[in-house]
Amino acid sequence: MAKLIELRDVYKIYGEGLESEVRALDGVSLDIEKGEFVAVVGQSGSGKSTMMNVLGCLDIPTRGTYRLDGVDVRELSDKELSRIRNKQIGFIFQQYNLIQNLTVLENVELPLIYQGIDPIDRRELAIQALTRVGLADRAQHKPTQMSGGQQQRVAIARAISTHPPIIMADEPTGALDSRTGHEVLGFLQQLNKEGSTVILITHDNGIAATARRIVRIADGKIIEDHPQEVNWY
Amino acid sequence: MNIGQAFKMAWRSICGKKGRSALTILSIFIGIAAVMTIVSTMEGMKAKTMEQFAAMGANRIEVSVYAYMYDEGGNPISKDYFAGLYRFCSGLKESIIGITPKGSSNATVVYGTKNSSTMEWKYDQQYNVVSGPPQIYYGSDQYSACNNLAIAKGRDLAWLDCEKYNQICVLGAQAARVFFGSANPVGQIMKVNGNNFEVVGVYGARVEPDTPSAYQTDNFMILPYTATRLLGDTAPTEFLVKAKDDASMKTAITEIGGYLSGVVDQSMGGYQVQKEGYWQDYQNQQLTMISLVLGGIAAISLLVGGIGIMNIMLVTVTERTREIGIRRSLGAQRSSIVAQFLIESGMLCGMGGIVGIIFGTIGSLALGKILFQMTIFPATWVTLAAFGLSVALGVLFGSYPAAKASKLQPVEALRAD
Repeated sequence: MAKLIELRDVYKIYGEGLESEVRALDGVSLDIEKGEFVAVVGQSGSGKSTMMNVLGCLDIPTRGTYRLDGVDVRELSDKELSRIRNKQIGFIFQQYNLIQNLTVLENVELPLIYQGIDPIDRRELAIQALTRVGLADRAQHKPTQMSGGQQQRVAIARAISTHPPIIMADEPTGALDSRTGHEVLGFLQQLNKEGSTVILITHDNGIAATARRIVRIADGKIIEDHPQEVNWY
Repeated sequence: MNIGQAFKMAWRSICGKKGRSALTILSIFIGIAAVMTIVSTMEGMKAKTMEQFAAMGANRIEVSVYAYMYDEGGNPISKDYFAGLYRFCSGLKESIIGITPKGSSNATVVYGTKNSSTMEWKYDQQYNVVSGPPQIYYGSDQYSACNNLAIAKGRDLAWLDCEKYNQICVLGAQAARVFFGSANPVGQIMKVNGNNFEVVGVYGARVEPDTPSAYQTDNFMILPYTATRLLGDTAPTEFLVKAKDDASMKTAITEIGGYLSGVVDQSMGGYQVQKEGYWQDYQNQQLTMISLVLGGIAAISLLVGGIGIMNIMLVTVTERTREIGIRRSLGAQRSSIVAQFLIESGMLCGMGGIVGIIFGTIGSLALGKILFQMTIFPATWVTLAAFGLSVALGVLFGSYPAAKASKLQPVEALRAD
């Protein structure tokens, strides 16, 4: 099976050459195949967020190659990178990252707008995604009128509205209580079962147990990478 | 992302920050209103000048002949050059429509109880005549041809009237209203310095009756120029020639100059032949100058407003860095971000422009009334230009903040608070 994600000797170095240089990623190599559920675990400052930014095409590695679906992302233009973020990847962030002055529905529609889908189809896709997370009745609310758990579900709806093959979640439960956190993790497992590749970034070993494979990272290096017993939510 | 969607997004974010949007609009509308008021007032004034000028007709030549010799009383010794010039011009039918003397008289005109010496002069702030007694002009049979006049009642002056020293007169439309109201003046006898003059005709109105313009252009009576002798005025020394068009005007100036050089004794006098209205051209130039200076001052206020826009948009970009990051993570391209901010600032300034146009229209109406007693409604091109200018300002001053917004790496933008 073709590798979906292929990192080879990837470095992300801040202030290279200075005494204070920081190696957020220090020669990382990693392969992820289609349909996997991988948890990237590490303490804060270990480089796990940088890893997600690189994997999500939000940041460009200093050195090394990153092939996504066989394409070296360092050779892509802003337009092509934007298209990858738009169509291939759905992001779920710790802080939800919803736009506050837009309604729930408009937030979910955003990636569809950037895809250029016409308004009628767009609305239908957005409602579908909201129905999946059980918030279709809140479509006209503003994010500020909702609880944290509900906001994170909106963010999930936004991430899945374009049916991207890859879901990247950065501490998705970090701001939630454990019950709503479990709901979110259950969702990720469900999406994975339906065929999405899920990459979960967390500092919490308990949460990492959601995934079928664990990649532990410290000081910018992978120190552990193996399949594990799954804790189903 | 399509453009309609981009406009909708910009509209949403303008509505999202009403107070700030209002301030931005404020910073642009004052400049636009000022520029518009100035430009349309100046345009209105020019149009007014041109209207009065046009009533007389174009392609006119002023001819003046003067002498250095004086009699015992100190009056210049003048000779009647007109009859000769008249004959000369009659031979130039190809290029000349007509010729008439330009003299006027201070004689008193009386008809019934109406007496020109007791009529009051009225002026506006610019010392333009608003109303007053009629002017008395000496003319030839071609006075009407030279002045865009057509007979409305009775008959025009004839060359024979000049040759026979006939005591007749033709009235301008406004003068007829002043002396006779709505009655027919033809056949009536008027007294000019006590001499009987019969009204033989009335000219049609060239401008709206009873307005200041009518008092300036249609309030006159024409006497045969040979009546100077009877009324004790000197023979006319200034003449007006009307040419067919611009090209024939140049020919006529040369021809008349050539004729006068043979007739006028250069040691005792001289002559001048030139295009009429050079002073109007000069006045127009002055007006253009004034409007440029005032417009420049107003443009500075626009510039200041534009810098204000840039400032506000920079703050907006900084404030919305995280939003930019979110949009980038969802697949917005750099160009979409640039478009979003450009459209937003263009739209804000366009709204400022619309408010400015409203105030500019009010301003030019008010200024026109106060300064010139006329209704100046801004021309369509001025309105369109004002709107275009304001949108262009928005795009111009929005481009730096927009470029700044798009340059951020998505990850840096997402990290912002």
